[in-house]
Amino acid sequence: MTAQACRVDDPHCITCGDEGVPMRVTAADAVTAVCRDAAGDTHEVAIDLVGPVGAGDHLLVHAGVAIATLEAAS
Amino acid sequence: MKYVDEYRDAQLGQAVATQILSEVDPDRHYKVMEVCGGHTHSIYKYGIDDLLPANVELVHGPGCPVCVIPMGRVDDGIAIAHHDGVIFTCFGDMMRVPGSEHTLLEAKAQGADVRMVYSPLDALRIARENPDREVVFFAIGFETTAPSTALTLKRAKAEGLRNFSCVCNHVTIVPPLRALLESPDLRLDGFIGPGHVCTVVGARPFHFIPADYGRPVVISGFEPLDILQSILMILRQLRGGRHEVENQYRRVVPDEGNLRALQVMAEVFALRPHFEWRGLGFISQSALRLSDAYAEFDAEQRFATPSVRVADPKACQCGEVLKGVIKPWECKVFGTACTPEHAIGTCMVSPEGACAAYYNFGRYARQREAV
Repeated sequence: MTAQACRVDDPHCITCGDEGVPMRVTAADAVTAVCRDAAGDTHEVAIDLVGPVGAGDHLLVHAGVAIATLEAAS
Repeated sequence: MKYVDEYRDAQLGQAVATQILSEVDPDRHYKVMEVCGGHTHSIYKYGIDDLLPANVELVHGPGCPVCVIPMGRVDDGIAIAHHDGVIFTCFGDMMRVPGSEHTLLEAKAQGADVRMVYSPLDALRIARENPDREVVFFAIGFETTAPSTALTLKRAKAEGLRNFSCVCNHVTIVPPLRALLESPDLRLDGFIGPGHVCTVVGARPFHFIPADYGRPVVISGFEPLDILQSILMILRQLRGGRHEVENQYRRVVPDEGNLRALQVMAEVFALRPHFEWRGLGFISQSALRLSDAYAEFDAEQRFATPSVRVADPKACQCGEVLKGVIKPWECKVFGTACTPEHAIGTCMVSPEGACAAYYNFGRYARQREAV
């Protein structure tokens, strides 16, 4: 389980950049989802703000917290 | 990965760029502001401005949360970090933001226990693991980040954690946008709306821009195709004489926002009557404090701080850059006295700051053009 570091030498700070990271849920309980990002790294994500999710769902994650569920683009 | 790769397709990008070329009036100059620092970063990273016609100018807005933190707030954070027994936590970029004398990184070198965290929830974990220490989280960010802080405080309260508190510097995006639109020295034709702020607040708060100021807004994603398509949608509105809020980022942004996040924010935060923004001055009702129900977690009440307003360095033109009045390279100290390694202004500190983004991704190309 990796926790993505926020480093002073990081070329891009996703927290400060208001950026959200798309991640795919691999497992979840009522408050936490285990997710994988595009690089294959695994993260624990709080899902209080998006409600129940299941394996295969895609989330937008900001600062360790899911802020949206991704849906098919229009 | 789904939702990422398809929005980085180079051929599709070229096709949208060609459509943009067909939409512009060659006799008109267009100024489009990207509000969010994340957009600024993507524009430079992917060279999006190089794909645009010369008469479509992108103006970088105030949407980098690090860049708008005034020096006095940094000084307050450093003062708290130096209290005995305090573990001071903040996001990575915040470590290098200059206060009047030092940065938090320098305070750490002087012996303060300053730690970088990726999430406010990491700060909460540190508080759980160190029950005999006071753990303070220096919260920054717009409405994208504020729900994470609110959720963290809700958990702290539910767990009865008494050694955790927060310096709340969360800001809201609409008041500075209104201030910019009222600014007489700035003429903008349209706005690329902040996609992740809108994920939380929805599209509704931005309707005042077309309604009161007659300017189009397109809420945009952050991949290169998202931004190119949003620029195309703005140009089409302008060509058709329309001005409305459109949502390019429908895969993420519902019109009503994230109601759970808004509910948590309403419980934990209250509006400050005014707040100072670096380069923009004091703006009414533009920032959040902890609500009375969460006052026990307010580090500003728990610790003594200088709370002194500090003027920006005279050489720094971050204010003009944040307002889009000048380009980063037009600042007197850009790339000379002010670099990412030795930043004078906050726009050079954060990678999402317009100056740092231009320095890192565009400076050398600009020099070649000059030659």
